[in-house]
Amino acid sequence: MNRDYQVTAGAEVHCELKSKTKMFSDSYNNYGTMANTNINEIDFAYPGTLPTVNGYAVELALKASLALNCKINKKMHFDRKNYFYPDLPKGYQITQARSPIGTDGYLEIEIDGITKKIGIHDIHIEEDTSKSTHYKEKSFLDFNRNGVPLIEIVSEPDIKSDKEMVAYLEKLRETLLYLNVSDCKIEEGSMRCDVNVSVSKTETLGTRTETKNVGSIHSAGMVVLVEAKRQIEELEKGNKIQEETRRYDEKENKTTLMRIKEVGNDYRYFPEPDIPFLILEDSEIERVRENLEVLPDARRKTYLEKGISLGNANKLIQNKQLSDFLLNLEDIDLVIASNLLLGDISAYLNKTEKTLKETKLTQEKLKDLVKKLSSGEITNKVFKEILTELMETEFSVQEIISSKGIETINDKSYLIEIVNKIIEGNKNSVDDYKSGKDRAIKYLMGQIMKETKGSANPSLVNQLLLEELSKR
Amino acid sequence: MKEKLELCEVEHVANLARIELTEEEKDQYAIDLKKLLNEVEKISEIKNYDEELLITPVEHTVSLRKDENKRTISFNEIKKNIPKSSGNFVEVPVMLHE
Repeated sequence: MNRDYQVTAGAEVHCELKSKTKMFSDSYNNYGTMANTNINEIDFAYPGTLPTVNGYAVELALKASLALNCKINKKMHFDRKNYFYPDLPKGYQITQARSPIGTDGYLEIEIDGITKKIGIHDIHIEEDTSKSTHYKEKSFLDFNRNGVPLIEIVSEPDIKSDKEMVAYLEKLRETLLYLNVSDCKIEEGSMRCDVNVSVSKTETLGTRTETKNVGSIHSAGMVVLVEAKRQIEELEKGNKIQEETRRYDEKENKTTLMRIKEVGNDYRYFPEPDIPFLILEDSEIERVRENLEVLPDARRKTYLEKGISLGNANKLIQNKQLSDFLLNLEDIDLVIASNLLLGDISAYLNKTEKTLKETKLTQEKLKDLVKKLSSGEITNKVFKEILTELMETEFSVQEIISSKGIETINDKSYLIEIVNKIIEGNKNSVDDYKSGKDRAIKYLMGQIMKETKGSANPSLVNQLLLEELSKR
Repeated sequence: MKEKLELCEVEHVANLARIELTEEEKDQYAIDLKKLLNEVEKISEIKNYDEELLITPVEHTVSLRKDENKRTISFNEIKKNIPKSSGNFVEVPVMLHE
């Protein structure tokens, strides 16, 4: 790409909030149910209906605003954005044009070890429109989506490359997922992204284009790349960039024109007279702030401090149910716990297509398991043997071990007997050890474990073996 | 200020509202609607741009609703008020030409 140009991009991200009911009506907010079943008179704008504000949706928007370091607007009102279209029978969308809940925030991203702040211009609450499907000369409308609560997160034009766009959107998604604010499923439309791009040779920003409804985070990065390239080529040909709305074609990896933005696009915004001012008390803001979920960055920091590798820490963050399971378990050996969760337990969940919540594994059981493994009270082999029972029954680790008769042998006098038996039977290995070949000890350990069918406490065996060898 | 609307204007509004009017009603609406419009026009005489935003004339704030479902209606109910449906969908003439 022509290095004389600076690329500037921003993102407008819509996220559906995870509430039970809609923003301004109490019909259900459910994805995936039969068309036009989660509806009532308000969603269809029957004459005389009035909106009511969903307090929980406001709380979710507040959570997102606080986590994204925004200033909170304590006195808000809603506005009507007027347009005429069948997917919005009221003739207007209720949104927050003049007093968004959050402003002037930021999100930190990291690229190649360098941290950068991406500004958040504002976060505002609004309602979704109906879903329309077009076929030949007809359009079909599903009002289940009509009125679903949304937040729109508008970034500042601080994004300078495709990599930064991808990092920003991934971090944003991760944050909102951890806050339990939204499902953020792009494929189901619960997270939708518009990408603004401009290029300029000077410090003054160039004319921007907006690429609507980009289908994935990866594609949003591609849009920055291909749209910047297209604009530079146009400018180099002596053409001007027009303010326009475009769409991204994933197959062709290019953007195409949807429509030229109308000059003075007038939605006739005015305050929604059916909803009085919404006041957020300081005590309410503080309550929400204090109860914010532990965010990925903080979790990652704890994991690394506890000795978990960066790779495993990231794997845990990517799998929220596993990461949540480790919350408040900081006093156990997190390296062992994470290895169990990412290894055999994840394999079990994949095989059985279950979530952790659908199993009988509790935090208490995991805690107990990790303690027994780290003290050598049980071996990894025993853990593998009891895994299914651990996941499928209410029994404790000890109860399962006892019932299966696979308790780890900790009986010192019995183990000394076996250690001596192996030493006697493997004179060559003992000589090797004596002459400094450390690997011989592993062989002897293996023989003892074999003799005890893997149920001897390995750290105790190791200790006893060294003691007995030193006597010879 | 005129005192009544043109008859064709009343007919246009009636058509948009999908209501049938008798000739007598049209005459009456021509007067009534114009009265209403004249009242609305008075609003433009008010200059209050510097004042604080007024949403409702009463001094109360919004009460928030609990996130609970209280009312759902069936699509059969909706069908009574829409011109056309197809399966469980509301059917309208195509909105987008790709």
